Amino acid sequence: MSRFNAARGLSRASGGISTFLSHRAGVAGAAILVVAALVAVIAPLLIPADALDVTRVTAAPWQAPGVEYWLGTDHTGRSVALLVVQGAGTSLFVGLTAALLAVGIGTLVGIVSGHFGGLVAGALLRVTDFFLVLPALVLAIALSTVLPRGLGTIVLAIGLTSWPSTARMVRAQTLTIEARPFVERARALGGGHGHVIGRHVLPSVVPLVLVNATLAVATAIVAESTLAFLGLGDPTRISWGAMLHQAQLHGAVPQRAWWFLLPPGVAIVVVVLAFTLVGRALEAVVTPKR
Amino acid sequence: MRVKACALLAIATTLGVATPQVQAQGPVILKVAIVQQIDSMNPFLAVFQSSTEVGRLMYDYLTAYAADDQRVTEGVANRWEPSADKLTWTFTVPEGKKWSDGKPITAQDVAFTYNLMLTDEVARTANGSFVTNFESVAATDDKTVVIKTKAPQVTMLALDIPIVPKHVWEKVTNIKDYANDQMPVVGSGPFVLTEHVAGQFIKLKTNKNYWRGAAKYDELHFVYFQNSDAAVQALGKGEVDLVNRMAPAQFDSLDGKAGVTRNKAQGRRFTELLINPGAQTKAGVPIGDGNPALKDVRVRRAIAQAVDLDALVQRVNLGYAEKGAGLVPPVFGKWHWQPGAGELRKFDPAAANAALDAAGYPRKDGTRFTLRLTGRAGRAYDEQASEYLKRSMSEVGIGLDVRLVSDNQLNEVTTAATYDLAFSGWATNVDPDFILGLHTCAQRPGADGKGGTTDSYFCDETYDQLYARQLSEFDEGKRVEIVKQMQARFYDQVPAVVLAYENALEGYRSDHFARFTTQPAQGGVIMAQNGMWGYYGAEPAGRVAQASSKGPWLAIGGMVLVAAVVIGVVVVRRRQATAGERE
Amino acid sequence: MRLAGRLGGAALSLVMVAVLGFFLFRVVPGDPVVSMTRGRPTTAAMQAELRAQFGLDRPLLSQFWGYFTSLLQGDLGTSFTFRRPVADVILERLGPTLLLVGTSTLIAVGLGLWLGVRAAWRRDSAFDKATTGVALTLWAVPTFWLGMLLMMVTGDLFPSRGMRDTDTAPDFVSQALDVGHHLVLPSITLVAVVCAEYMLVMRSSLLEEMHAPYLTTARAKGLRDDLVRRRHAVPNAVLPAITLVFLRFGLVVAGAITTETVFSWPGLGLLFYDALTGPDYFLLQGLLVCTAGAVVVMNLLAELLYGVLDPRVKVV
Repeated sequence: MSRFNAARGLSRASGGISTFLSHRAGVAGAAILVVAALVAVIAPLLIPADALDVTRVTAAPWQAPGVEYWLGTDHTGRSVALLVVQGAGTSLFVGLTAALLAVGIGTLVGIVSGHFGGLVAGALLRVTDFFLVLPALVLAIALSTVLPRGLGTIVLAIGLTSWPSTARMVRAQTLTIEARPFVERARALGGGHGHVIGRHVLPSVVPLVLVNATLAVATAIVAESTLAFLGLGDPTRISWGAMLHQAQLHGAVPQRAWWFLLPPGVAIVVVVLAFTLVGRALEAVVTPKR
Repeated sequence: MRVKACALLAIATTLGVATPQVQAQGPVILKVAIVQQIDSMNPFLAVFQSSTEVGRLMYDYLTAYAADDQRVTEGVANRWEPSADKLTWTFTVPEGKKWSDGKPITAQDVAFTYNLMLTDEVARTANGSFVTNFESVAATDDKTVVIKTKAPQVTMLALDIPIVPKHVWEKVTNIKDYANDQMPVVGSGPFVLTEHVAGQFIKLKTNKNYWRGAAKYDELHFVYFQNSDAAVQALGKGEVDLVNRMAPAQFDSLDGKAGVTRNKAQGRRFTELLINPGAQTKAGVPIGDGNPALKDVRVRRAIAQAVDLDALVQRVNLGYAEKGAGLVPPVFGKWHWQPGAGELRKFDPAAANAALDAAGYPRKDGTRFTLRLTGRAGRAYDEQASEYLKRSMSEVGIGLDVRLVSDNQLNEVTTAATYDLAFSGWATNVDPDFILGLHTCAQRPGADGKGGTTDSYFCDETYDQLYARQLSEFDEGKRVEIVKQMQARFYDQVPAVVLAYENALEGYRSDHFARFTTQPAQGGVIMAQNGMWGYYGAEPAGRVAQASSKGPWLAIGGMVLVAAVVIGVVVVRRRQATAGERE
Repeated sequence: MRLAGRLGGAALSLVMVAVLGFFLFRVVPGDPVVSMTRGRPTTAAMQAELRAQFGLDRPLLSQFWGYFTSLLQGDLGTSFTFRRPVADVILERLGPTLLLVGTSTLIAVGLGLWLGVRAAWRRDSAFDKATTGVALTLWAVPTFWLGMLLMMVTGDLFPSRGMRDTDTAPDFVSQALDVGHHLVLPSITLVAVVCAEYMLVMRSSLLEEMHAPYLTTARAKGLRDDLVRRRHAVPNAVLPAITLVFLRFGLVVAGAITTETVFSWPGLGLLFYDALTGPDYFLLQGLLVCTAGAVVVMNLLAELLYGVLDPRVKVV
């Protein structure tokens, strides 16, 4: 039994890379992410400090895209293209760290509360339910208002408010799996908690967790932009959400300044989409077609 | 069967859509965008600016400020006379003025309103500051009100208190819980409140009984917008007729737009940069944690000198502001003060550097000391101006740690004096008493840190003496002189730098309304006046039917919707049919 | 007994929400009275009077006790901003939110689940790739940005704000059409973003289920694909999706904040946004308790429904 499983796992791992590579969308997503990460890391080194200092820019504000500024300029005369590049780092950092925090807490709480009965599960369930009933955005807004402004606050506000759905889904899946006859059989044959969780529960929740993690990065990046849009972000940092906040604050919509509204939004969509595509390709690797 | 019903619905919908086009000659409506909520329609409780604005339309005050030059003019009363000792004021309420329900407006109503505020603490919630000095108020007959004050008071003709009808309000037992929503609400102003849906709109109708004569159109609607961006868009589309408080860029976006006329007016507001001069409570106990270097007036002057006010006006206000000087904005001409040649602090980083060196704050690694600059996140001015200040300060060796926080955090920081530099701003009134009084020692908080209204923590003996003198100076020329001396003192001691007097940027649909009355006549505002002239004096452009362009789109939308339903129903039925066959 | 336990648990959640709501929003810095009176002539005595009116001068614990006892009687306190009972203010704004969220959720659930089932069943077909691609893209779109974009693109076709015009004829048909006209952009915004998630979850849930041995059995019995799908696979796969729909209910309400903010839709989301800038403590608490209450009920329903639909699940 276990040898069979091990063999299957091995072949799965060796076939994993090729399976992933066979998913063109996933590869494209990964490529986008690599580019985005490179941009985020390199850009601050290449962009001259003066170019994004509102007190030093020389270009006219609200300039439509042209030869010199090929994505136009914002309300202060800064190049929108440079702003988008500069904003990549903040958005990616917040998205990744907040998602890791959320999915980590969620998976742990979900499996533990789904698998173990008794007081532990009861208490965890209580806490999950409690955080679940607090509308995430509302709580995130409240937290970002209470805590001092900064990236840490945003990561914390998003991470602490978006784990319960992961926990709930994982718990539901754990319950479903453990109600299946083969798990009951394993228990009857003397399988301990470790065995049941490791051999049966975990493999069955991994796809779900992967899907969830993907969605969590996406949610976190979108949540960061939403908080920034509502004016709760770190105003001293350039992020895509902060750019949209500026666009709204300074009337990009009535001015039809599409070049200020479109690029940061498209950047968010592309990166979030890339995360999703990679996650889905990974999902296919974990759960091969029969 | 279902398909048939849907088709019938489609016809009905299309017919229904057609109807709005038919009724062309509706009432003429002025639609105004507002972004602030209404806290209460009860004039004794309403403290928001938006509520005060609507209140002015519903109720006259005892006196009013003329549209053209803001001088005191007829309100409920048309004549007034102080006694020789200035302690007794006699106001005359002429016959012939009527409430919107037809009952006469008399001196009894005035006495009732003021006495209600004197006897009921809750009734003093909104406007209590005006009556604190009142000894007694009595109506000796229907035409005469006599007000006795404890001490001479120069602001007796600037009592911004809505006068309410006695016959309505004497039945109110609990002011605190009275919403004043018995529509239509009986009032004395040019408009009568007829409907209020919180968060959506306020509807007022023209008061046919208004003593100045009814306004030239039928209804006045205030429509809520979440932000000025949406309001500006709606103005562009013709969904509203009047918008104010635009951002400079929004104002520019309307340049040359057909049917829209812009109004760049002198505003009542100014923006200032607070410099914590060493905050103390009323008892003189230090509070907060302001940088001790700022207690030195030489340092404060140097900071003020290092700020390039012209650049701020040009780059941050996009030129829609005037460079700051005294506490009273230029729109109140005679009270406004500009520094003379000897007093003027010119922008001069080199001189500021020298002054800081002389004051004993040498540079270490290029920096003398670091200050916190607190501003409001989400306020465009603060977000941009802080960047400029950062640069200006670095040139004189002062590091700036910019902290943009939420509105309530900013209030907290300024009331607890936990700032070094902070952005603030005030709207001023026709009478400068309030804005001057803010900076007296008495406005500092009590021992518990509460009860203060100042945010500059200025406490200066010279200034306070001048303040007391102007308060009992009934010769206006002399009072103006004192007020100017106070502003000069404030400028010299710099507890705050007045950065700019912002223009009020407004826009209106000139294809719907041809003309609005501004206050003052030259370069004045339409909304947020010290009066109701802007709304009252609006003249329709003689244009009809505003809804006409909407009909066709409604019809198309309706038809698309109906088509979708029909297709959906057909598909479902077909699927059911085939499923049945398959089984 | 189980039901009683569930109800008790839900009640406990509500109590915790009430407690957290109180302390969380009291920690929000700022004196509401200072915010309220900013920029107008105010004396210290007037500020003290306002504080007394709202009970802000009492010690925190005493305030909490007062808040908690009146909450049990259904009294959510008095709003600072509107000078009226919070319950009234919330009820007034409930309608628009129910209309927007209700319409959008119904469309999103129907469309999302249906597309999800179809896409999963014809995995890797052109239909699957197209819908999945669109859904993934939409899922990545920030709600408020989509709203702003729609506003910019549609130009004058739809109103840019609110729920109805003030000058529409008072008859029912005109009013209903006017509301419908205003509803288009906000509901498209909300549907687009939410629907994508439902579709993706339904799809992956069904794909999971399709590997189950019993489906092979069902096919082996000679049942047609269509029937296998409807009788066997979908009911099982629908479970996680249903859970999500119910769980999402509260999040959708909260998510409506951005949509309502962008379009000035006069509902609870907009009210929340306004209340936060006050800060209007009692209103914030009331909103939190009400939204949370709704989600607690929805959760309870999800749990119960889960048990009914899948008898294999042990009710813990």
